[in-house]
Amino acid sequence: MVSMRALKMGLCALLCLSAIACGGSDGTSGGGTPPPPPANTANTASVIIDGGPSASSGSVNTLFTSVTVCVPGSTTSCQTIDHIQVDTGSYGLRLLAPVLTLTLPVETLASGGSLAECTQFVDGFSWGPIATADIQIAGETAKSVPVQVIGDSRFTNIPTECSGTGGTEEDTVSTFGANGILGIGPFESDCGDCDTATHGLYFACTTSCTDTTVPDNLQIPNPVTHFAVDNNGTIVVLPSVAAGGASNVMGSLIFGIDTQSDNASGTQTVLTVDDNAELLVMFNGQTFANSFIDSGSNGIFFADSSITTCTAPPSDPTSQIVNFYCPASTLTLPVTIQGMNGTMTNNLTFGVGNAITMLNDNPSFDAFPQLAGTLPAGNAGSFDYGLPFFYGKRVAIAVQGAMTTVGTGPYIAF
Amino acid sequence: MPIFQSNDFKSAALGVAVLIAALLPHVASATLGEPETTVQTDVALAHASIKSSEDRTGYRVHEIQLPSGTVMREFVAPNGNVFAVAWQGPTRPDLRQALGQYFGAFASAPRSKFSDRRHVQIQQGDLVLQSGGHMRALSGRAYLQSAIPSGVNLGDLH
Repeated sequence: MVSMRALKMGLCALLCLSAIACGGSDGTSGGGTPPPPPANTANTASVIIDGGPSASSGSVNTLFTSVTVCVPGSTTSCQTIDHIQVDTGSYGLRLLAPVLTLTLPVETLASGGSLAECTQFVDGFSWGPIATADIQIAGETAKSVPVQVIGDSRFTNIPTECSGTGGTEEDTVSTFGANGILGIGPFESDCGDCDTATHGLYFACTTSCTDTTVPDNLQIPNPVTHFAVDNNGTIVVLPSVAAGGASNVMGSLIFGIDTQSDNASGTQTVLTVDDNAELLVMFNGQTFANSFIDSGSNGIFFADSSITTCTAPPSDPTSQIVNFYCPASTLTLPVTIQGMNGTMTNNLTFGVGNAITMLNDNPSFDAFPQLAGTLPAGNAGSFDYGLPFFYGKRVAIAVQGAMTTVGTGPYIAF
Repeated sequence: MPIFQSNDFKSAALGVAVLIAALLPHVASATLGEPETTVQTDVALAHASIKSSEDRTGYRVHEIQLPSGTVMREFVAPNGNVFAVAWQGPTRPDLRQALGQYFGAFASAPRSKFSDRRHVQIQQGDLVLQSGGHMRALSGRAYLQSAIPSGVNLGDLH
Protein backbone atom coordinates (compact mmCIF):
# COMPACT_ATOMS: atom_id res chain seq x y z
CA MET A 1 0.00 0.00 0.00
CA VAL A 2 2.79 2.36 0.93
CA SER A 3 4.46 2.00 -2.41
CA MET A 4 1.16 2.49 -4.25
CA ARG A 5 0.53 5.64 -2.29
CA ALA A 6 4.04 6.86 -2.92
CA LEU A 7 3.54 6.18 -6.58
CA LYS A 8 0.34 8.20 -6.67
CA MET A 9 2.00 11.06 -4.83
CA GLY A 10 4.88 10.93 -7.25
CA LEU A 11 2.52 11.03 -10.18
CA CYS A 12 0.72 13.99 -8.61
CA ALA A 13 4.00 15.77 -8.12
CA LEU A 14 4.93 15.23 -11.74
CA LEU A 15 1.57 16.47 -12.97
CA CYS A 16 1.79 19.52 -10.72
CA LEU A 17 5.31 20.24 -11.92
CA SER A 18 4.30 20.04 -15.53
CA ALA A 19 1.30 22.29 -14.87
CA ILE A 20 3.58 24.86 -13.26
CA ALA A 21 5.99 24.63 -16.15
CA CYS A 22 3.18 25.32 -18.58
CA GLY A 23 1.76 28.09 -16.41
CA GLY A 24 5.12 29.74 -16.31
CA SER A 25 5.50 29.91 -20.03
CA ASP A 26 4.18 33.47 -20.13
CA GLY A 27 7.58 34.66 -19.06
CA THR A 28 6.73 35.73 -15.50
CA SER A 29 8.44 32.89 -13.75
CA GLY A 30 12.02 34.03 -13.80
CA GLY A 31 14.59 36.40 -15.16
CA GLY A 32 15.52 36.55 -18.82
CA THR A 33 13.77 34.93 -21.72
CA PRO A 34 12.21 31.67 -20.62
CA PRO A 35 12.81 28.60 -22.70
CA PRO A 36 9.89 27.67 -24.89
CA PRO A 37 7.46 25.40 -23.08
CA PRO A 38 7.66 21.71 -23.85
CA ALA A 39 5.29 20.75 -26.62
CA ASN A 40 2.07 20.20 -24.79
CA THR A 41 1.14 16.98 -26.56
CA ALA A 42 -1.68 14.87 -25.31
CA ASN A 43 0.09 11.61 -26.00
CA THR A 44 -2.61 9.23 -24.88
CA ALA A 45 -5.41 7.77 -26.95
CA SER A 46 -8.21 5.75 -25.43
CA VAL A 47 -8.67 2.19 -26.59
CA ILE A 48 -11.54 -0.24 -26.22
CA ILE A 49 -12.21 -3.95 -26.57
CA ASP A 50 -15.72 -4.26 -27.93
CA GLY A 51 -17.56 -6.20 -30.59
CA GLY A 52 -16.11 -4.21 -33.48
CA PRO A 53 -17.86 -2.11 -36.12
CA SER A 54 -21.52 -2.89 -36.68
CA ALA A 55 -20.82 -3.94 -40.25
CA SER A 56 -18.62 -6.79 -39.04
CA SER A 57 -19.58 -10.19 -37.74
CA GLY A 58 -18.30 -9.31 -34.28
CA SER A 59 -15.03 -10.07 -32.57
CA VAL A 60 -13.49 -11.14 -29.30
CA ASN A 61 -10.31 -9.86 -27.64
CA THR A 62 -9.84 -7.23 -30.35
CA LEU A 63 -8.45 -3.83 -29.40
CA PHE A 64 -9.70 -0.69 -31.17
CA THR A 65 -8.99 3.03 -31.21
CA SER A 66 -9.94 6.07 -33.29
CA VAL A 67 -7.68 7.79 -35.78
CA THR A 68 -8.08 11.12 -37.56
CA VAL A 69 -6.74 11.38 -41.10
CA CYS A 70 -6.56 14.48 -43.27
CA VAL A 71 -5.72 15.15 -46.88
CA PRO A 72 -2.04 16.19 -46.60
CA GLY A 73 -1.72 19.85 -45.70
CA SER A 74 -5.43 20.35 -45.07
CA THR A 75 -6.99 21.15 -41.71
CA THR A 76 -10.53 20.86 -43.00
CA SER A 77 -10.54 17.77 -45.22
CA CYS A 78 -10.29 15.46 -42.26
CA GLN A 79 -12.13 12.44 -40.94
CA THR A 80 -12.08 10.65 -37.62
CA ILE A 81 -12.54 6.90 -38.02
CA ASP A 82 -13.48 4.65 -35.12
CA HIS A 83 -12.84 0.94 -34.71
CA ILE A 84 -9.31 0.99 -36.03
CA GLN A 85 -7.71 -2.19 -34.68
CA VAL A 86 -4.59 -1.65 -32.56
CA ASP A 87 -2.14 -4.33 -33.68
CA THR A 88 1.34 -4.78 -32.23
CA GLY A 89 1.91 -7.65 -34.70
CA SER A 90 1.81 -5.60 -37.89
CA TYR A 91 3.06 -2.30 -39.24
CA GLY A 92 1.28 0.67 -40.73
CA LEU A 93 -2.06 2.42 -40.86
CA ARG A 94 -4.54 0.79 -43.23
CA LEU A 95 -8.03 2.13 -43.78
CA LEU A 96 -11.05 0.46 -45.34
CA ALA A 97 -12.09 2.49 -48.36
CA PRO A 98 -15.83 1.92 -47.78
CA VAL A 99 -15.68 4.00 -44.58
CA LEU A 100 -13.23 6.61 -45.89
CA THR A 101 -15.01 9.74 -47.11
CA LEU A 102 -11.81 11.57 -48.09
CA THR A 103 -9.95 11.22 -51.34
CA LEU A 104 -6.35 10.69 -50.36
CA PRO A 105 -3.66 11.16 -53.04
CA VAL A 106 -2.16 7.90 -54.25
CA GLU A 107 1.63 7.59 -54.29
CA THR A 108 3.33 7.57 -57.67
CA LEU A 109 6.59 5.79 -58.34
CA ALA A 110 9.45 7.61 -60.07
CA SER A 111 9.40 4.86 -62.68
CA GLY A 112 5.75 5.63 -63.40
CA GLY A 113 2.64 3.97 -62.12
CA SER A 114 0.69 4.15 -58.93
CA LEU A 115 1.81 2.24 -55.87
CA ALA A 116 -0.45 -0.46 -54.43
CA GLU A 117 0.06 -3.18 -51.89
CA CYS A 118 -1.01 -6.75 -51.35
CA THR A 119 -0.95 -6.98 -47.57
CA GLN A 120 -0.70 -10.54 -46.38
CA PHE A 121 -2.28 -11.63 -43.15
CA VAL A 122 -2.25 -15.26 -42.06
CA ASP A 123 -5.88 -15.76 -43.04
CA GLY A 124 -5.87 -13.81 -46.29
CA PHE A 125 -4.88 -10.64 -48.04
CA SER A 126 -5.98 -7.02 -48.40
CA TRP A 127 -5.45 -5.11 -51.63
CA GLY A 128 -5.36 -1.39 -52.24
CA PRO A 129 -3.27 1.65 -53.14
CA ILE A 130 -0.73 3.41 -50.97
CA ALA A 131 -1.88 6.97 -50.37
CA THR A 132 -0.53 9.74 -48.20
CA ALA A 133 -2.36 11.29 -45.27
CA ASP A 134 -1.74 13.54 -42.32
CA ILE A 135 -2.47 11.43 -39.26
CA GLN A 136 -3.64 12.56 -35.85
CA ILE A 137 -4.08 10.22 -32.89
CA ALA A 138 -4.83 11.87 -29.57
CA GLY A 139 -2.60 14.97 -29.74
CA GLU A 140 0.09 13.37 -31.87
CA THR A 141 0.46 14.25 -35.52
CA ALA A 142 2.40 12.86 -38.46
CA LYS A 143 2.49 14.59 -41.83
CA SER A 144 2.23 13.00 -45.28
CA VAL A 145 2.49 9.44 -44.09
CA PRO A 146 2.05 6.51 -46.49
CA VAL A 147 -1.12 4.59 -45.56
CA GLN A 148 -2.96 1.84 -47.38
CA VAL A 149 -6.50 2.35 -48.63
CA ILE A 150 -7.91 -1.18 -48.63
CA GLY A 151 -10.61 -2.01 -51.13
CA ASP A 152 -10.28 1.27 -53.05
CA SER A 153 -12.77 1.32 -55.93
CA ARG A 154 -10.10 2.84 -58.17
CA PHE A 155 -7.98 -0.32 -57.83
CA THR A 156 -10.23 -3.28 -58.43
CA ASN A 157 -7.97 -5.49 -60.55
CA ILE A 158 -6.21 -7.63 -57.99
CA PRO A 159 -3.07 -9.14 -59.53
CA THR A 160 -3.00 -12.93 -59.67
CA GLU A 161 0.29 -12.81 -57.72
CA CYS A 162 -1.72 -11.26 -54.88
CA SER A 163 -4.82 -13.44 -54.91
CA GLY A 164 -2.55 -16.45 -55.48
CA THR A 165 -1.14 -16.10 -51.98
CA GLY A 166 -4.46 -17.45 -50.86
CA GLY A 167 -6.98 -16.99 -48.11
CA THR A 168 -9.87 -14.61 -47.81
CA GLU A 169 -9.91 -11.35 -49.72
CA GLU A 170 -10.38 -8.89 -46.84
CA ASP A 171 -11.33 -5.69 -48.61
CA THR A 172 -14.60 -4.80 -46.87
CA VAL A 173 -15.40 -3.97 -43.24
CA SER A 174 -17.28 -7.24 -43.01
CA THR A 175 -14.42 -9.40 -44.25
CA PHE A 176 -11.75 -7.33 -42.50
CA GLY A 177 -13.56 -7.11 -39.16
CA ALA A 178 -12.53 -3.49 -38.54
CA ASN A 179 -12.63 -0.07 -40.16
CA GLY A 180 -8.88 -0.15 -40.40
CA ILE A 181 -5.78 -1.30 -38.60
CA LEU A 182 -3.01 0.57 -36.80
CA GLY A 183 0.12 -1.56 -36.93
CA ILE A 184 2.50 -0.48 -34.15
CA GLY A 185 4.92 -3.41 -34.00
CA PRO A 186 8.56 -2.83 -33.01
CA PHE A 187 9.92 -2.10 -36.49
CA GLU A 188 9.68 0.94 -38.72
CA SER A 189 8.00 -0.57 -41.76
CA ASP A 190 5.94 -3.46 -43.05
CA CYS A 191 8.82 -4.83 -45.12
CA GLY A 192 12.45 -5.21 -44.21
CA ASP A 193 14.03 -4.92 -47.64
CA CYS A 194 11.38 -3.94 -50.18
CA ASP A 195 13.71 -1.21 -51.42
CA THR A 196 15.93 -3.88 -52.97
CA ALA A 197 13.80 -7.03 -53.22
CA THR A 198 10.32 -7.88 -54.42
CA HIS A 199 8.12 -9.98 -52.18
CA GLY A 200 4.75 -9.83 -53.87
CA LEU A 201 3.83 -7.02 -51.47
CA TYR A 202 4.24 -3.77 -53.40
CA PHE A 203 2.98 -3.36 -56.96
CA ALA A 204 3.41 -0.67 -59.59
CA CYS A 205 0.07 -0.16 -61.34
CA THR A 206 -0.61 1.35 -64.75
CA THR A 207 -3.11 -0.59 -66.82
CA SER A 208 -2.05 -3.65 -64.85
CA CYS A 209 0.02 -4.12 -61.72
CA THR A 210 3.46 -5.67 -61.44
CA ASP A 211 5.58 -6.62 -58.44
CA THR A 212 8.04 -3.83 -57.67
CA THR A 213 10.72 -2.60 -55.33
CA VAL A 214 9.91 0.60 -53.43
CA PRO A 215 12.09 3.34 -51.95
CA ASP A 216 11.93 3.30 -48.15
CA ASN A 217 10.13 6.64 -47.92
CA LEU A 218 7.20 5.36 -49.98
CA GLN A 219 6.71 2.17 -47.95
CA ILE A 220 4.07 1.89 -45.24
CA PRO A 221 5.64 2.83 -41.89
CA ASN A 222 4.57 2.27 -38.34
CA PRO A 223 3.00 5.77 -38.16
CA VAL A 224 4.22 6.31 -34.60
CA THR A 225 7.76 6.54 -35.97
CA HIS A 226 6.61 9.54 -38.04
CA PHE A 227 5.14 11.49 -35.13
CA ALA A 228 6.89 14.81 -34.49
CA VAL A 229 7.52 13.74 -30.88
CA ASP A 230 6.87 10.65 -28.75
CA ASN A 231 7.92 8.54 -31.72
CA ASN A 232 10.14 5.82 -30.23
CA GLY A 233 7.43 3.38 -29.22
CA THR A 234 4.08 2.87 -27.59
CA ILE A 235 2.67 1.67 -24.30
CA VAL A 236 -0.59 -0.29 -24.12
CA VAL A 237 -2.30 -0.08 -20.73
CA LEU A 238 -5.28 -2.33 -20.07
CA PRO A 239 -7.07 -3.14 -16.81
CA SER A 240 -7.39 -6.60 -15.37
CA VAL A 241 -10.43 -8.44 -16.64
CA ALA A 242 -12.45 -10.93 -14.58
CA ALA A 243 -11.76 -14.56 -15.46
CA GLY A 244 -15.21 -14.97 -16.99
CA GLY A 245 -14.76 -11.96 -19.24
CA ALA A 246 -16.21 -8.46 -19.59
CA SER A 247 -17.66 -6.14 -22.19
CA ASN A 248 -16.38 -2.78 -23.41
CA VAL A 249 -13.07 -2.89 -21.57
CA MET A 250 -11.29 0.45 -21.91
CA GLY A 251 -7.62 1.32 -21.66
CA SER A 252 -4.92 3.64 -22.95
CA LEU A 253 -2.50 3.77 -25.83
CA ILE A 254 0.36 6.01 -24.76
CA PHE A 255 2.84 7.25 -27.36
CA GLY A 256 6.53 7.53 -26.64
CA ILE A 257 8.71 5.89 -24.01
CA ASP A 258 10.61 8.10 -21.56
CA THR A 259 9.62 11.19 -23.51
CA GLN A 260 6.97 12.58 -21.14
CA SER A 261 6.08 12.31 -17.48
CA ASP A 262 3.38 9.75 -18.22
CA ASN A 263 5.47 7.31 -20.23
CA ALA A 264 8.54 6.92 -18.03
CA SER A 265 10.09 3.48 -17.76
CA GLY A 266 10.18 1.96 -14.32
CA THR A 267 11.45 -1.35 -13.11
CA GLN A 268 9.72 -3.51 -15.64
CA THR A 269 11.02 -6.63 -17.33
CA VAL A 270 12.64 -5.75 -20.67
CA LEU A 271 12.68 -8.51 -23.29
CA THR A 272 14.40 -7.74 -26.56
CA VAL A 273 13.04 -9.38 -29.72
CA ASP A 274 14.73 -10.75 -32.83
CA ASP A 275 14.52 -9.62 -36.46
CA ASN A 276 11.06 -11.17 -36.70
CA ALA A 277 9.85 -9.45 -33.51
CA GLU A 278 9.96 -12.85 -31.85
CA LEU A 279 11.33 -14.23 -28.59
CA LEU A 280 11.43 -17.51 -26.65
CA VAL A 281 8.64 -19.11 -24.66
CA MET A 282 9.23 -22.06 -22.37
CA PHE A 283 6.07 -24.03 -21.80
CA ASN A 284 5.26 -27.60 -20.89
CA GLY A 285 8.90 -28.64 -20.95
CA GLN A 286 9.48 -27.28 -24.44
CA THR A 287 11.13 -24.14 -25.78
CA PHE A 288 9.27 -22.35 -28.55
CA ALA A 289 11.80 -20.20 -30.38
CA ASN A 290 9.42 -18.40 -32.76
CA SER A 291 7.08 -17.00 -30.15
CA PHE A 292 5.51 -13.59 -29.99
CA ILE A 293 3.42 -11.29 -27.80
CA ASP A 294 0.77 -9.72 -30.00
CA SER A 295 -2.29 -7.53 -29.42
CA GLY A 296 -3.59 -8.72 -32.80
CA SER A 297 -4.05 -12.34 -31.68
CA ASN A 298 -7.40 -12.86 -30.02
CA GLY A 299 -6.30 -15.55 -27.59
CA ILE A 300 -3.37 -17.50 -26.22
CA PHE A 301 -2.34 -20.02 -28.86
CA PHE A 302 -0.12 -23.03 -28.28
CA ALA A 303 -0.03 -26.75 -28.94
CA ASP A 304 -0.97 -28.99 -26.02
CA SER A 305 -2.66 -32.21 -26.99
CA SER A 306 -3.55 -32.91 -23.35
CA ILE A 307 -6.15 -30.10 -23.28
CA THR A 308 -9.59 -30.85 -24.69
CA THR A 309 -10.55 -28.76 -27.69
CA CYS A 310 -14.07 -27.41 -28.22
CA THR A 311 -16.74 -29.22 -30.21
CA ALA A 312 -18.72 -27.28 -32.78
CA PRO A 313 -22.36 -26.80 -31.77
CA PRO A 314 -24.91 -28.63 -33.96
CA SER A 315 -26.30 -25.24 -35.00
CA ASP A 316 -22.94 -24.24 -36.46
CA PRO A 317 -21.06 -27.39 -37.50
CA THR A 318 -18.25 -25.50 -39.27
CA SER A 319 -17.63 -23.09 -36.38
CA GLN A 320 -14.01 -22.12 -35.85
CA ILE A 321 -14.62 -22.57 -32.13
CA VAL A 322 -13.14 -26.04 -32.64
CA ASN A 323 -9.71 -24.41 -32.71
CA PHE A 324 -10.10 -23.19 -29.12
CA TYR A 325 -9.66 -25.10 -25.86
CA CYS A 326 -12.59 -26.29 -23.77
CA PRO A 327 -11.16 -27.92 -20.62
CA ALA A 328 -13.68 -29.31 -18.11
CA SER A 329 -12.38 -26.88 -15.52
CA THR A 330 -10.18 -23.82 -15.75
CA LEU A 331 -6.46 -24.56 -15.95
CA THR A 332 -3.72 -22.38 -14.55
CA LEU A 333 -0.50 -23.02 -16.45
CA PRO A 334 3.03 -21.76 -15.83
CA VAL A 335 4.94 -20.15 -18.66
CA THR A 336 8.31 -18.42 -18.97
CA ILE A 337 9.09 -15.81 -21.61
CA GLN A 338 12.70 -15.08 -22.46
CA GLY A 339 14.00 -12.16 -24.49
CA MET A 340 16.89 -12.34 -26.91
CA ASN A 341 18.82 -10.46 -24.21
CA GLY A 342 18.46 -13.50 -21.94
CA THR A 343 16.08 -11.80 -19.51
CA MET A 344 13.31 -14.11 -18.33
CA THR A 345 9.93 -13.56 -16.71
CA ASN A 346 9.35 -14.83 -13.17
CA ASN A 347 6.35 -16.78 -11.88
CA LEU A 348 4.14 -15.99 -14.86
CA THR A 349 1.00 -18.08 -15.26
CA PHE A 350 -2.02 -17.91 -17.53
CA GLY A 351 -5.52 -19.33 -17.35
CA VAL A 352 -7.24 -21.52 -19.90
CA GLY A 353 -11.02 -21.45 -19.56
CA ASN A 354 -13.68 -23.36 -21.41
CA ALA A 355 -14.24 -21.21 -24.50
CA ILE A 356 -17.78 -22.39 -25.17
CA THR A 357 -18.85 -21.94 -21.55
CA MET A 358 -17.34 -18.45 -21.40
CA LEU A 359 -18.99 -17.36 -24.62
CA ASN A 360 -22.36 -18.96 -23.82
CA ASP A 361 -22.52 -17.64 -20.26
CA ASN A 362 -22.11 -14.05 -21.40
CA PRO A 363 -22.79 -13.67 -25.12
CA SER A 364 -22.44 -9.89 -24.86
CA PHE A 365 -18.88 -10.08 -23.55
CA ASP A 366 -15.96 -9.42 -25.89
CA ALA A 367 -12.92 -9.50 -23.57
CA PHE A 368 -11.87 -12.94 -22.36
CA PRO A 369 -8.55 -13.23 -20.52
CA GLN A 370 -8.71 -17.03 -20.47
CA LEU A 371 -9.50 -17.63 -24.12
CA ALA A 372 -6.89 -20.01 -25.51
CA GLY A 373 -6.59 -22.05 -28.66
CA THR A 374 -4.59 -24.58 -30.56
CA LEU A 375 -1.59 -24.00 -32.72
CA PRO A 376 -1.02 -26.88 -35.12
CA ALA A 377 2.17 -28.84 -34.85
CA GLY A 378 3.04 -27.55 -38.33
CA ASN A 379 3.75 -24.21 -36.68
CA ALA A 380 6.09 -25.96 -34.28
CA GLY A 381 8.28 -23.58 -32.39
CA SER A 382 5.63 -20.95 -31.83
CA PHE A 383 3.69 -19.80 -28.78
CA ASP A 384 1.39 -16.94 -29.73
CA TYR A 385 0.56 -14.90 -26.63
CA GLY A 386 -2.25 -12.63 -27.76
CA LEU A 387 -4.33 -9.86 -26.24
CA PRO A 388 -4.96 -11.73 -22.95
CA PHE A 389 -1.29 -11.06 -22.16
CA PHE A 390 -2.04 -7.33 -22.07
CA TYR A 391 -4.87 -7.48 -19.51
CA GLY A 392 -3.80 -5.99 -16.20
CA LYS A 393 -0.48 -4.87 -17.62
CA ARG A 394 1.33 -1.84 -18.92
CA VAL A 395 3.16 -3.15 -21.99
CA ALA A 396 5.75 -1.01 -23.77
CA ILE A 397 6.81 -1.76 -27.34
CA ALA A 398 10.04 0.04 -28.23
CA VAL A 399 10.79 0.46 -31.91
CA GLN A 400 14.06 -0.79 -33.35
CA GLY A 401 16.84 1.65 -32.49
CA ALA A 402 14.82 3.48 -29.84
CA MET A 403 17.00 4.33 -26.85
CA THR A 404 15.11 4.49 -23.59
CA THR A 405 16.31 4.53 -20.01
CA VAL A 406 15.94 0.74 -19.81
CA GLY A 407 17.28 -0.43 -23.15
CA THR A 408 17.42 -0.19 -26.91
CA GLY A 409 14.59 -1.34 -29.15
CA PRO A 410 13.27 -3.54 -30.52
CA TYR A 411 11.97 -4.70 -27.18
CA ILE A 412 8.79 -5.39 -25.28
CA ALA A 413 8.65 -4.45 -21.59
CA PHE A 414 6.03 -4.91 -18.89
CA MET B 1 2.33 -44.25 -88.63
CA PRO B 2 0.45 -41.20 -87.34
CA ILE B 3 2.58 -38.12 -87.21
CA PHE B 4 1.67 -37.55 -83.55
CA GLN B 5 3.90 -40.42 -82.48
CA SER B 6 6.97 -38.87 -83.99
CA ASN B 7 9.58 -38.17 -81.33
CA ASP B 8 10.50 -34.97 -83.11
CA PHE B 9 6.96 -33.79 -82.77
CA LYS B 10 6.89 -34.73 -79.10
CA SER B 11 10.04 -32.73 -78.49
CA ALA B 12 8.63 -29.79 -80.34
CA ALA B 13 5.37 -30.04 -78.42
CA LEU B 14 7.26 -30.22 -75.14
CA GLY B 15 9.27 -27.18 -76.15
CA VAL B 16 6.08 -25.29 -76.90
CA ALA B 17 4.62 -26.38 -73.57
CA VAL B 18 7.67 -25.15 -71.70
CA LEU B 19 7.53 -21.89 -73.62
CA ILE B 20 3.85 -21.47 -72.77
CA ALA B 21 4.61 -22.20 -69.13
CA ALA B 22 7.31 -19.55 -69.19
CA LEU B 23 5.04 -16.99 -70.80
CA LEU B 24 2.06 -17.75 -68.55
CA PRO B 25 3.43 -17.95 -65.05
CA HIS B 26 0.15 -19.16 -63.63
CA VAL B 27 -0.72 -21.86 -66.08
CA ALA B 28 -2.35 -24.65 -64.08
CA SER B 29 0.25 -27.14 -62.95
CA ALA B 30 -0.74 -28.43 -59.58
CA THR B 31 1.60 -29.60 -56.91
CA LEU B 32 -0.27 -30.97 -53.90
CA GLY B 33 -1.57 -34.40 -54.85
CA GLU B 34 0.34 -34.34 -58.13
CA PRO B 35 3.46 -36.18 -59.27
CA GLU B 36 6.89 -35.15 -58.06
CA THR B 37 7.77 -33.72 -61.46
CA THR B 38 5.55 -30.75 -60.62
CA VAL B 39 8.09 -29.78 -57.98
CA GLN B 40 10.36 -28.85 -60.88
CA THR B 41 7.50 -26.89 -62.43
CA ASP B 42 7.10 -24.96 -59.18
CA VAL B 43 10.80 -24.22 -59.11
CA ALA B 44 10.87 -23.04 -62.73
CA LEU B 45 7.73 -20.92 -62.46
CA ALA B 46 8.84 -19.22 -59.26
CA HIS B 47 12.38 -18.53 -60.54
CA ALA B 48 13.42 -20.39 -57.41
CA SER B 49 16.07 -22.95 -56.66
CA ILE B 50 16.00 -26.31 -54.93
CA LYS B 51 18.10 -25.76 -51.84
CA SER B 52 18.17 -29.40 -50.84
CA SER B 53 16.47 -32.73 -51.49
CA GLU B 54 16.52 -35.11 -48.58
CA ASP B 55 15.36 -38.70 -48.32
CA ARG B 56 13.74 -39.31 -44.97
CA THR B 57 12.24 -42.54 -43.70
CA GLY B 58 9.15 -43.07 -45.83
CA TYR B 59 9.27 -39.90 -47.90
CA ARG B 60 11.44 -37.29 -49.63
CA VAL B 61 11.59 -33.52 -48.96
CA HIS B 62 12.51 -30.86 -51.50
CA GLU B 63 13.39 -27.54 -49.94
CA ILE B 64 12.81 -24.68 -52.34
CA GLN B 65 14.30 -21.23 -51.78
CA LEU B 66 12.09 -18.53 -53.27
CA PRO B 67 13.50 -15.14 -54.34
CA SER B 68 11.16 -13.48 -51.82
CA GLY B 69 13.11 -15.04 -48.97
CA THR B 70 10.41 -17.57 -48.22
CA VAL B 71 11.33 -21.24 -48.01
CA MET B 72 8.88 -23.83 -49.30
CA ARG B 73 9.09 -27.56 -48.64
CA GLU B 74 7.36 -30.17 -50.73
CA PHE B 75 6.95 -33.67 -49.31
CA VAL B 76 6.88 -36.61 -51.73
CA ALA B 77 5.47 -40.04 -50.91
CA PRO B 78 6.99 -43.33 -52.17
CA ASN B 79 4.29 -43.44 -54.87
CA GLY B 80 5.82 -40.28 -56.32
CA ASN B 81 3.03 -37.87 -55.38
CA VAL B 82 3.34 -34.70 -53.33
CA PHE B 83 1.35 -35.24 -50.13
CA ALA B 84 2.24 -32.07 -48.24
CA VAL B 85 3.65 -28.58 -48.77
CA ALA B 86 4.89 -26.20 -46.11
CA TRP B 87 6.16 -22.63 -46.15
CA GLN B 88 7.91 -20.17 -43.86
CA GLY B 89 9.06 -16.63 -44.53
CA PRO B 90 8.11 -12.98 -44.92
CA THR B 91 5.35 -13.72 -47.43
CA ARG B 92 3.40 -16.72 -48.67
CA PRO B 93 4.47 -18.55 -51.81
CA ASP B 94 2.20 -18.85 -54.84
CA LEU B 95 -0.31 -21.15 -53.18
CA ARG B 96 -2.52 -21.24 -56.25
CA GLN B 97 0.37 -23.08 -57.85
CA ALA B 98 1.42 -25.10 -54.82
CA LEU B 99 -2.05 -26.21 -53.73
CA GLY B 100 -3.43 -26.72 -57.21
CA GLN B 101 -6.96 -28.10 -57.10
CA TYR B 102 -7.08 -27.57 -53.32
CA PHE B 103 -6.40 -23.83 -53.48
CA GLY B 104 -10.09 -22.95 -53.41
CA ALA B 105 -10.59 -24.40 -49.93
CA PHE B 106 -8.18 -21.83 -48.46
CA ALA B 107 -9.59 -18.98 -50.52
CA SER B 108 -13.13 -19.61 -49.32
CA ALA B 109 -12.54 -19.96 -45.57
CA PRO B 110 -15.22 -17.80 -43.92
CA ARG B 111 -14.55 -15.08 -41.36
CA SER B 112 -16.31 -15.42 -38.01
CA LYS B 113 -16.44 -13.80 -34.60
CA PHE B 114 -13.54 -16.01 -33.55
CA SER B 115 -11.27 -15.05 -36.44
CA ASP B 116 -8.16 -12.97 -36.05
CA ARG B 117 -5.42 -12.33 -38.58
CA ARG B 118 -3.01 -14.83 -37.10
CA HIS B 119 -4.54 -18.27 -37.49
CA VAL B 120 -6.11 -20.48 -40.09
CA GLN B 121 -7.07 -24.09 -39.63
CA ILE B 122 -9.11 -25.63 -42.40
CA GLN B 123 -10.23 -29.20 -42.77
CA GLN B 124 -12.21 -29.78 -45.92
CA GLY B 125 -12.53 -33.26 -47.30
CA ASP B 126 -9.05 -34.72 -47.60
CA LEU B 127 -7.29 -31.38 -47.20
CA VAL B 128 -5.89 -29.98 -43.97
CA LEU B 129 -4.46 -26.45 -44.14
CA GLN B 130 -2.93 -24.78 -41.09
CA SER B 131 -1.17 -21.46 -40.90
CA GLY B 132 0.07 -19.03 -38.27
CA GLY B 133 2.48 -16.19 -37.62
CA HIS B 134 2.30 -12.43 -38.05
CA MET B 135 3.30 -9.73 -40.52
CA ARG B 136 6.87 -10.31 -41.82
CA ALA B 137 6.90 -13.92 -40.51
CA LEU B 138 4.24 -16.25 -41.89
CA SER B 139 4.28 -20.03 -41.83
CA GLY B 140 1.91 -22.80 -42.73
CA ARG B 141 1.36 -26.18 -44.26
CA ALA B 142 -1.20 -28.13 -46.23
CA TYR B 143 -1.47 -31.89 -46.54
CA LEU B 144 -3.76 -34.59 -47.85
CA GLN B 145 -4.79 -36.84 -44.99
CA SER B 146 -5.28 -39.93 -47.12
CA ALA B 147 -1.95 -39.53 -48.86
CA ILE B 148 0.33 -39.42 -45.84
CA PRO B 149 2.65 -42.43 -45.99
CA SER B 150 2.40 -44.72 -42.99
CA GLY B 151 4.80 -43.91 -40.18
CA VAL B 152 5.13 -40.21 -41.01
CA ASN B 153 4.94 -37.93 -37.98
CA LEU B 154 2.70 -34.94 -38.72
CA GLY B 155 4.94 -32.84 -36.49
CA ASP B 156 7.78 -33.29 -39.00
CA LEU B 157 5.79 -31.68 -41.81
CA HIS B 158 6.86 -28.06 -41.57
